[in-house]
Amino acid sequence: MTSNQSDLTNEATGTETTVHPLQEFADGVAAAVGGVAEITVGTVKVKVPADRWVETHRIARDDLGLGFFSFLSAIEWANEVSVGYPLSEPVEERIEVISTLGDLSEGKRVTFSTDLPLDSPRIQSIVEVFPGANWHEREAHEMFGIVFEGHPNLVHLYLPDGFMGHPLRKSFPLLSREVKPWPGDVDVEAMPGEAQSGGGSDEPSTENPEA
Amino acid sequence: MSMDADTIRHLSEVSVSVELQTEDMILNIGPQHPSTHGVLRLVARVDGERAFDVQPVIGYMHRGYEKLAEVRTYPQITTIVNRIDWVSGYANEIPFIVACEKIMELEVPPRAQYIRLILTEMARICSHLVFMASYPLELGAASPLFFALRERERVLDLLEGVTGGRFHPNFNRIGGVKPAYGSGSQTRKLVQDLPAGFYRDTRAAMSRVLEVCEELDDLVAGNEIIHVRTKGVGVLPPDVAASYGVSGPNLRASGVDFDLRKVEDYLPYDDLDWNVVTGTNGDCYDRWWCRLQEIRESAKMIQQAIDNVPTGPIQAKVPKVIKVPKGETYVRAENPKGEMGYYLVTDGGNGPYRVKIRSASFSNLSILPWVLEGAMIPDIIAIMGSLDFVLGDVDR
Repeated sequence: MTSNQSDLTNEATGTETTVHPLQEFADGVAAAVGGVAEITVGTVKVKVPADRWVETHRIARDDLGLGFFSFLSAIEWANEVSVGYPLSEPVEERIEVISTLGDLSEGKRVTFSTDLPLDSPRIQSIVEVFPGANWHEREAHEMFGIVFEGHPNLVHLYLPDGFMGHPLRKSFPLLSREVKPWPGDVDVEAMPGEAQSGGGSDEPSTENPEA
Repeated sequence: MSMDADTIRHLSEVSVSVELQTEDMILNIGPQHPSTHGVLRLVARVDGERAFDVQPVIGYMHRGYEKLAEVRTYPQITTIVNRIDWVSGYANEIPFIVACEKIMELEVPPRAQYIRLILTEMARICSHLVFMASYPLELGAASPLFFALRERERVLDLLEGVTGGRFHPNFNRIGGVKPAYGSGSQTRKLVQDLPAGFYRDTRAAMSRVLEVCEELDDLVAGNEIIHVRTKGVGVLPPDVAASYGVSGPNLRASGVDFDLRKVEDYLPYDDLDWNVVTGTNGDCYDRWWCRLQEIRESAKMIQQAIDNVPTGPIQAKVPKVIKVPKGETYVRAENPKGEMGYYLVTDGGNGPYRVKIRSASFSNLSILPWVLEGAMIPDIIAIMGSLDFVLGDVDR
C-alpha cells in the first residue's frame, strides 16, 4: 500500500528490492540520534525514545545541519472517537508527538516522533534548542493536554484562559455536530447502483481554447 | 551594510537619557488595528520611545480547522483550506491535494499540473500585490495602494474566470482540477477547461503586472522617507529566522537561497526558467524588495507556462467516492507567505484521521517578540507590516 510497507515486506522475505532514495539519509539520521527510521510516502520519520527528545533535536541542529524548525504537533491514537472517522483496526492507545526539521540548502527534512502515554503525557520542552517551538508547544499543550516540562510560558495560546478540555483529543465532542447533524452528509451517500465506478466516460475534453 | 542589534538600537537614540528616569508603561495595540491584517493584539512594555517584552495575543480568529477537517470528507476539506490564508486562497489547496494524491499514488495529468502552477503563481502575485499596497500605506504612503490593487483586480478577474471564485476558488480536485461548468454532465458538454481568451488576457495582465512593478519600484524604492523608515530596521539574522521557522520571502530577504519550489516536486517548476530572489541585509526594505522581485519572477513564470500548457485530460481517473488508503505524509509547498504544509494521517476512510496544518504566518509571527525587542514604537508598525502575515493563516 505505502512504499514503507512494501519495503518492510521485501526485507522480511529477503527478496531483491530497490532501495528508496531517501533510505541512506534516513538511516544516517536514525543512527546519529539513536532512533528507528521509516519512510512513509516520501517523508522520513525517525522514532526516538521520549527521554532523548531534546538531545535528538540538538544533534539534528548541530551535527546534521537540520536548523530549520518547521513545526511541532501531536497525533492522538485512540480506538474510540466521539467525532470523525475511527481507525480501521485497533492500535496501542498513545499520543505521538511529532516535530519536523529541515535544512536550508537541499530541502531535506525529517519528522521526529516519540510516544507518550494517553493519560498523563509529559515531555521535555525543546524551546532551548528551537525558540520557535514556543508557540507550537503551547498549541499542543492546550489542544492535546501535553505538558512540556521547562517551557517558559505554558499557557493557552488560542483558547480563553478558563477553557476546559483539550479540543483535538478524539474524546472531545464537536458541539455543533451534537446540536445539528452535518448537512454535508448527503454529499457522501453512495451513488445509486455503483458506488465505486470511475469518473469514466463523461470526462471533459480538453483543447486549448486558442489553439 | 552590516549592523548588529546594538547599533540599530542606538541608531536614533536621541533623547532618552539615563538620568531621566521614566516610568514603564504598558502599551496595547489592537485587537482592531489597520496594520494587524486581521485581529491581533500586541501588549508591549514601553520605556520612553522603545518597546520591550512585546507579547502578541492571538486566537481571535481561531476556527479550529484541524478539528473540522477530521469530520469532513477529503473533497470537502478543500473549502476549509481555502480560508486559511484568504489573500492567496488558491495556493493553500495545493499541498493538501498533493498530500492526498501522494498517498493514493495518483498520477496527475500534466495539463492539470500546469493549470495549478499558473493559478498558484497568480495567487502569489495577488498576495504580494496586497503587500505592495498595504505596506507603504502603513508607512504613510497612500499612492502605491492604487497602483497595486488595480493590477491585482485584473489578476483576480482571471482567477475568477477560471475558477469562479476570487478569494476562495475551491478549484482543485484530487487527481486534477475542477472541470468547467457542465462538462461532467451527461447531457451538456463544454469543449474547454480554461475559458476562451484566457491565454490572451493572461499575457496582457502579466505585461501590465510587470509595468506596475516598474511604477512601484519608482514610487517606493525611489522614496527617501521609505529608505529611512525601512533600511536597517527589523534585521533578522538567517540563523535566528531558521530557528523560529520563519520561511518564504522573510527568510530569503536575510540572504538564504532556499525556495521550496526548487527542492520539492509538487508542481512542475523545473520546466520553467526562473530565479530564487534573495536579499542581503534581512531588514524591512529587503523584505519589501524580495516580494517585488518575486512578483516579476512569477509573472515571467506564467508567461512561460501559458506558452507550454500541454493538451490532454485535466483529471486523473478516480473513484466517485474518494477514499485515501492508510498512510502518513508531510507535504509542503512554497506559499506566498512561506512554507505551508499538511501532515496528513489517513486510514482508508472517506476522511482523514488527523490533519496538522503548518501555516507560514504562524511561525513568521512567532518571531515578533524577538525582533521587536527594543524597537522604536513607530518601527513596530514598520517591522510588523514587513513580515506580511495574515491572521487567518496564523490562527487557522
